[in-house]
Amino acid sequence: MRGASGDDPDLTDGSEDAAESSGDSLDDSNLDATDVDPSELTVSERSLHPRIRTIWIARGVVWSLVLGAIAFAAAWQWLEISLLVPATITIALLALFVTHAVLRYRAWQYEFREDAIYLERGVVTRVRTVVPFVRIQHVDTARGPIARVAGLSTLVVYTAGSRGADVTIPGIESDRATEHQRRLKQLAIAAEDDTAV
Amino acid sequence: MKLHPLSIPYRAARTAGNVVLIAFFAFFGVPQFLDGALAFAVAGMVIIAGLIAIVGWQYAYYRRYEYALTESTLDIDAGVVSRRSREIPYGRVQNVSIERTIVQRALGLAEVRVETAGGSGTEAHLQYVGAAEANRLQNEISERKRRSRTEETAGDASAADAAATEAGTLADRRELLFEMTPRELGVLGVVSLDSRILPLVFFALTPFVPEITELAGGSAGLAVLFVPAIVLAIYLATAVLSAAYAVTNYYGFQLFAVDDELRYERGLLQKFSGTIPLEKVQAVTVTENVLSRFVGYASLTAETAGFSPGQEGGSQAAVPIARRDRVLELAKEIEPVDLPAFERPPKRARTRYVARYAIVLGILTAIAYSAVASGVWNGPWWIVPLAAPLIPVAAHLKWRNLGYALTDEYVVTRHGFWSRTTKIVPYHRVQTVADSQTIFQRRRQLATLHVDVAGSRSLVSDDSKMIDVDRDVAGEIRETIADRLLESLAEQDDRPADQFRDAPIDPVPSSQDSATSGDGSASANDESASRSQ
Repeated sequence: MRGASGDDPDLTDGSEDAAESSGDSLDDSNLDATDVDPSELTVSERSLHPRIRTIWIARGVVWSLVLGAIAFAAAWQWLEISLLVPATITIALLALFVTHAVLRYRAWQYEFREDAIYLERGVVTRVRTVVPFVRIQHVDTARGPIARVAGLSTLVVYTAGSRGADVTIPGIESDRATEHQRRLKQLAIAAEDDTAV
Repeated sequence: MKLHPLSIPYRAARTAGNVVLIAFFAFFGVPQFLDGALAFAVAGMVIIAGLIAIVGWQYAYYRRYEYALTESTLDIDAGVVSRRSREIPYGRVQNVSIERTIVQRALGLAEVRVETAGGSGTEAHLQYVGAAEANRLQNEISERKRRSRTEETAGDASAADAAATEAGTLADRRELLFEMTPRELGVLGVVSLDSRILPLVFFALTPFVPEITELAGGSAGLAVLFVPAIVLAIYLATAVLSAAYAVTNYYGFQLFAVDDELRYERGLLQKFSGTIPLEKVQAVTVTENVLSRFVGYASLTAETAGFSPGQEGGSQAAVPIARRDRVLELAKEIEPVDLPAFERPPKRARTRYVARYAIVLGILTAIAYSAVASGVWNGPWWIVPLAAPLIPVAAHLKWRNLGYALTDEYVVTRHGFWSRTTKIVPYHRVQTVADSQTIFQRRRQLATLHVDVAGSRSLVSDDSKMIDVDRDVAGEIRETIADRLLESLAEQDDRPADQFRDAPIDPVPSSQDSATSGDGSASANDESASRSQ
């Protein structure tokens, strides 16, 4: 990983991930040598804003309560079973969703390198994606109602590839997202290319 | 220009046919509430009114449909109620295809589709123009596309014109690359059956096992002997059907090279012809299914980013079938590459498949057993676990057909036993690179690397991927491909369509930013160059 990532306090609980992707170390040792003065436009590896974790946890709680309520209704109305069953289901779902939200937050890392966006994410299936700036078609920032209250945005980067819309970075502070969007636009323009399609 | 006048009656007849079909299903079985002459009169009036409406609509469609080849774009103005005008720059055209059904051929009509990379459908769909006009459009678009590109470099239209006239007519310039022989057509017919059907047929048959058991005189052991015979019969029937389909579809297949385009023509009853511009090819795929591998044949596909809802998706079969060496030779016409030696995934990947298939078989056995136990089915459930010896074989075959290689200019990947797909992607076509690890893969430190290119076919999960390579290796390859993409784009500076790194970096709001971004990309360039050595 980049040397600068060590200063990032958000990364402390992501150390496991950093260790896991040590396969990149070959390239990185090379990078560190030349990358003494990191470009202003790049962003070294960072996690999402912690508020998105709160949102995800809250969403998990709401979902488990909704599903739990349905289970309760079903158990009480149609099935002749003990109410302990839906209670257990609710608690299990709650634990599952909350754990998932926490792990999901922990797994998420993104980085703007000199020539590409690098993303790392996924709880069940871990995915690491490299999107070269040359391939960026356009960049969106999106703000849902809940994210807006929390002051967060989602950055969506489109490429011409079929997995293009996969490149979505949630939970970035709104002004930072706008800043990223501006930077990506500049980087994409600087790296303009016609051979894409 | 207008569509062909005959397109009015033809389109009207087609619409009427559809309406009749819908009406037939809508009113089928509705009790007759009118009788005698009145019913006849009403029905007649409705039909006449309907016909007038349909013909009138199609006439209006024809009147309002206008297309033109301008200096730099193909313009289409169309729409009866809401008007739409569209301009397609020649440089953005991916494929131009012509389709003529047997009726259209009798009427001298043709359907023309012009595909570009964006959007979710055919961008220009001319229904219908005259056959000669269709060919003219196809040639003219190719010609103008070429001219618009040469102009970019020469900056002089007359020079391009001179070059074109010097080269002679299109017919002189076209060179036959491949022509399908009757023998190849025969092979295509034999191997074109999707062999994945076989296990399906097998499982479709299991409900009939009791009947077969009865036939065999009540002995389940004897019944097992009957199954292969029935499978074979069904297989042959399917084979004959798909052979007939393949043969009529690919009859008289010819592939030409015209300037920097490939053109194909095919079809017995329904004629197809299309263009594949070489500069738009995203990936080259060699497909060999079990049967064609056995007889040493393969097929070749050149994928472009164009989308067409037709049978081939965004990709075009450049060579439906030919001897394997011939296919590889033709692949070189598109991308000059020799198939490299493939790296296989580590052996622990194979262990993974054994585990996977064992789990699947276990589940199937459990289902079969519980079906017998609950009395739903009284067949021999123990047939299912008898397949256990096949597990290591299947795992080995899957593993054996996996492979990947990085050459100087291409990423080559291979996977699939039933239909082995070898995909050749030039670095400069790569869009994104991603490696993914499921929880099962993490247990064995494996990862799958996806190399995404622009196009529609990749959507159907048929993208270029290296399955189950070592996790650390996948990470390295991911970075290597991303680096080589930038290197090869930088190398292609002299390509006319490519402004990469030639273009001055646009001024950005803060002067500091612009300076650093310039430095950043320059250093990235140096770095990647040094790393490649």
